[in-house]
Amino acid sequence: MTKGVKLAIAAAAVIFLGAIAAIIFLQRPAQGTWVEILQDNKVICTLDLSQEPDRTFRVEFPEGGWNEIRIENGTICISDADCPDHTCVRTGKLRSEDIPIVCLPHKLVIKYCAPPEES
Amino acid sequence: MKTKRLTELSLLTAAALIAFIIEMRLPDIRIPGVKLGLANIFTVYAVYRFSGKEVFLLLVTRIVLGSLFSSNFSAIIYSLAGGMLCLCGMLLLRKIISESYLWLCSIFGAILHNTGQIGAAVLMTGTPAVLAYYPYLLVSGCIAGLFTGLCAQFVVKRLLNFRKGKTE
Repeated sequence: MTKGVKLAIAAAAVIFLGAIAAIIFLQRPAQGTWVEILQDNKVICTLDLSQEPDRTFRVEFPEGGWNEIRIENGTICISDADCPDHTCVRTGKLRSEDIPIVCLPHKLVIKYCAPPEES
Repeated sequence: MKTKRLTELSLLTAAALIAFIIEMRLPDIRIPGVKLGLANIFTVYAVYRFSGKEVFLLLVTRIVLGSLFSSNFSAIIYSLAGGMLCLCGMLLLRKIISESYLWLCSIFGAILHNTGQIGAAVLMTGTPAVLAYYPYLLVSGCIAGLFTGLCAQFVVKRLLNFRKGKTE
């Protein structure tokens, strides 16, 4: 075993353990109830899940396509979409503070956010 | 390029595509981007058998045809970004890591592939929030890279025995 191989094994181990540590850190359950929906990194709407009635609505993607967002008992998920991979639908409900629901083809992100300032 | 090399490369590309199509049939995990990457077995093998230019051709052909077959052409940018970074990394690493540690090279290939994918995703969507998936991709990448690397290692071993005229 050469020195290079030993170094490489050590580097791989560090990356692996570091990633596991990051996952444990990221497993914070949701604290707040406010979520925001972003399209192309611009906030298109902010919702308080504890106040929202159960409903389903569509978000259109300007370049063609749509995502159907469902709010149910204070949870939010993408229930249907016409994107090719359907990854966003399979992600399921939004649970973690740090892990958003993402639809890459339609540049759509749903994530928890801080409650807006009272005005 | 000699005909024999060309045939060998085409055969590898075809085999990689078959592995890719078989993998499409496997049930997928809820985390986007997490994949076994069976087709990578052939890329890792080719990295230790062919020149950089030849592996590049193999990989680009595989990615373009693969995304045509899976009718998911929008994902090609992510596959290409990941694939190219993975290839560059492995071509550099093959100078440091000898063939008997091929699995190690494959792990780094997988890590770089995921890095390229996430990088492309952040740039394409302009959404840094996508980075939250990076640790999950790294853990799955290390495991998948080890698996595909060991597969490639077995292939190399068998072929060496075969060339020596031994049969198992």
